[in-house]
Amino acid sequence: MTAFLVRRLGFACITLFAVLTIIFLIVRILPGDPAQVILGDQADAGAVAAMRTRLGLDRPLLVQYADFLSGAIRGDWGVSLVTGRPVIQEVLSVLPWTIELTLYALLIGAAIGIPLGIWAAVNRNLFTDYAIRIASLLGLSFPAFVSGILLLIGFAIQLRWFPVISGQRATWTQWLQSLVLPAVNLGLIMAAYITRVTRSAMLEVLSEDYVRTARAKGVPWQAVVWRHALRNALIPIITIVGLYLGVLIGNSVLTEIVFNRPGLGKLIVGALNQRDYTMLQGMMVIYTLLVVAINLATDVVYGVADPRVKLQ
Amino acid sequence: MIRRTLLAGCMGLALMTGIAGQALAQKTTLTVGLASADTGVLDPHMNSATPGKSFMQQIFNGLVRLKPGEISPEFIEPDLAESWTASPDGKVWTFNLRKGVQCHHNFGEFTAEDAVFSLKRAATRETSTFSSDYAAFESVEAPDKYTVKITLKNAIPSLLGVVMNYHGGQMICKAAVEQMGNEAFRRRPIGTGPFAFAEYVPQQYGKLVANDLYFRGKPNFREITYRLIPSDAARDLAFQAGELDMLYARQDQTAFSRLKATPGVKALAMNPAEMSVIHLNMTMPPLDNIKVRQAIAHALDRDGIQQFRGREVSRQAVSVVPSGYVGTLANAPLLPHNVQKARELLAEAGFPNGITLKTIHTTLPGMMTFMEAVQAQLRRAGITLEITPVEHATFHQQIRQNLSQVVHFQAARFPVADVYLSQFFHSRATVGSPTGVTNFSHCKVADAEIDAARSEPDKAKQIALWHEAQRKIVTEVCAIPVNEQLQLWAIKDSLDLGYEIKGALNLGPAVLETSKFTK
Repeated sequence: MTAFLVRRLGFACITLFAVLTIIFLIVRILPGDPAQVILGDQADAGAVAAMRTRLGLDRPLLVQYADFLSGAIRGDWGVSLVTGRPVIQEVLSVLPWTIELTLYALLIGAAIGIPLGIWAAVNRNLFTDYAIRIASLLGLSFPAFVSGILLLIGFAIQLRWFPVISGQRATWTQWLQSLVLPAVNLGLIMAAYITRVTRSAMLEVLSEDYVRTARAKGVPWQAVVWRHALRNALIPIITIVGLYLGVLIGNSVLTEIVFNRPGLGKLIVGALNQRDYTMLQGMMVIYTLLVVAINLATDVVYGVADPRVKLQ
Repeated sequence: MIRRTLLAGCMGLALMTGIAGQALAQKTTLTVGLASADTGVLDPHMNSATPGKSFMQQIFNGLVRLKPGEISPEFIEPDLAESWTASPDGKVWTFNLRKGVQCHHNFGEFTAEDAVFSLKRAATRETSTFSSDYAAFESVEAPDKYTVKITLKNAIPSLLGVVMNYHGGQMICKAAVEQMGNEAFRRRPIGTGPFAFAEYVPQQYGKLVANDLYFRGKPNFREITYRLIPSDAARDLAFQAGELDMLYARQDQTAFSRLKATPGVKALAMNPAEMSVIHLNMTMPPLDNIKVRQAIAHALDRDGIQQFRGREVSRQAVSVVPSGYVGTLANAPLLPHNVQKARELLAEAGFPNGITLKTIHTTLPGMMTFMEAVQAQLRRAGITLEITPVEHATFHQQIRQNLSQVVHFQAARFPVADVYLSQFFHSRATVGSPTGVTNFSHCKVADAEIDAARSEPDKAKQIALWHEAQRKIVTEVCAIPVNEQLQLWAIKDSLDLGYEIKGALNLGPAVLETSKFTK
């Protein structure tokens, strides 16, 4: 296990280095000048040039790259070109919001998706199966910003159960209120994915010989489904959850915007619009670390879910 | 028994009165919705964006200020300076400061030394976006604790405009910058305004608290929270749910009409309007031919565009300087809409089969829909406009690199004709040059008038020069002014800001010490 973790961390370092280099180059290839963005549209060319010098953007690319790498190694991600606030502070201030939203969305997705997927599989080609498949298709094709606004109209405007602005969380109730709608919004999309994967994995497992044998030996149907079939169907479900979790972190931006929650997604969109190079670089480090961590966790969970999988 | 009943009754009444009193007590916190995820850098000398200016205007004062709710320089009134005088040639200005004005968070009294420091900082490229506004400053001195003396190299159109509560004129406290440094100051700005900076949480809110030592009196509101909500729909829903008291509305007629029809809501269409101008790059064929430029001007239908954008939220442009500015030529000789004439002019210019023009354009929806309407109008006259959509930051970079034949630019400026003329139509401001700003057309026909007006001490002559400059630019068809779009806000009608809102130069209604809820 230790050797496995060390090896994976080694790969993670190489991945991180490659991502940092690529993102350093990409943000500088993009058209758009951060100095112009900072100074606004009334600044003359001389002022823009002076600002570029102040930001160090007029230095040779290699010098900037060396500076960036040495800073990254020392844990110094610099300050935002636009706001002047330290990048690490900005990123860490919103990171818990994103992680929290993603995890609760995952829980909701799994709580809805796995039972529905099983239910659809055991009722294959019956009305329930069709209904669940159509519902999951709707979940997949419904844009997050539309479902978010519908949730707000229903639960915040009509019923007044939740606030529209999700940022207040001084009390436990406020925290819950701020989390439920965004997590449900994102969780429903997750649920649609998990339902479909669970259904297809379960269908495959349910047609296996050992399931038939268990049934022939008189094992109750529910026990066959939950104890025998589901455990064997878990690997593809974990794989898709692990893969989708990384996507979910990136895709949470629409939910964050609609529910006005802070988060990495909103931060990265703002940094892109403003060509905030240092902020983008810091964000990429965090994204890479998160994706690596999720993959690592997925591998570990494989072993837990199925003892036949060895972490070697 | 009777006594006990009476006592209980009295207690009950007292309790009910207390509860009713609490319920009737006016709310003393204000929540405002801004259309952005970030205010940008919290430095009045660096931030020229709408959310930042709206938020910070409560923190700072100028030496003078515009009367709240007005945007014209004719409404300038005392602020930190109680009075001022100017030499006959307009080159030496002396301001007498109020005594006892306190900087926020115990940074001491605001004196002439602070004003000098602030103006010098605003005039420095490294610390100010607006340094070019102070290019004519020769010296700024503090002869005594409450006197500020500004000496200019040459008279400028509006000295008061650069020392007022706007852009570089916002006064900051020297001790705060010296003690904290510029970087820390930008995270905790210190001024003298009715509200002091309290907290800023990125992507969530900025909070201001009442400055009880404010020289005009203790503010009624104890706290103002500026919520950062980039989504139009979410901001609108939060307003409907009562979580916001004032908001930057969605900038279109449909949203405005709906807000107007909502009970308990005041919808505001305010100045300064952002004018949409089509700049024609006269160095690029076929736009180097005046007949082609005239044809384009004839092809555009200002009335049609106004109808498209909304009659209540926009108005037709009247000149190459927006309407209502000091020096705007209200009856500029703009070419009327005439498709037949446009076709004839194209034929005379040697393009009987029409022309194709290219434009690089931002993907911002409000600007893009305007340009698509322009595209449709031009097509009727045989002019094909090919639009290359690019993201907003790219747009700003590429149009300054002289890459676009046609540039649609939408902007509001300080309401004196000189600013618009100097930035958009003086040859010094031509894009691609070291002093370039936003002269996309390479116009240079009115340089002499613009320069002469800058140092003309006689107001009437100065305005005549600005009028002449506009006539020349319009006749040369360097650019075609089309439409002016007003700033749209909505407030609860129980919110009394303490003044009549006709406009807000800082792009958001100012909250004053007298602002309050009426119920």
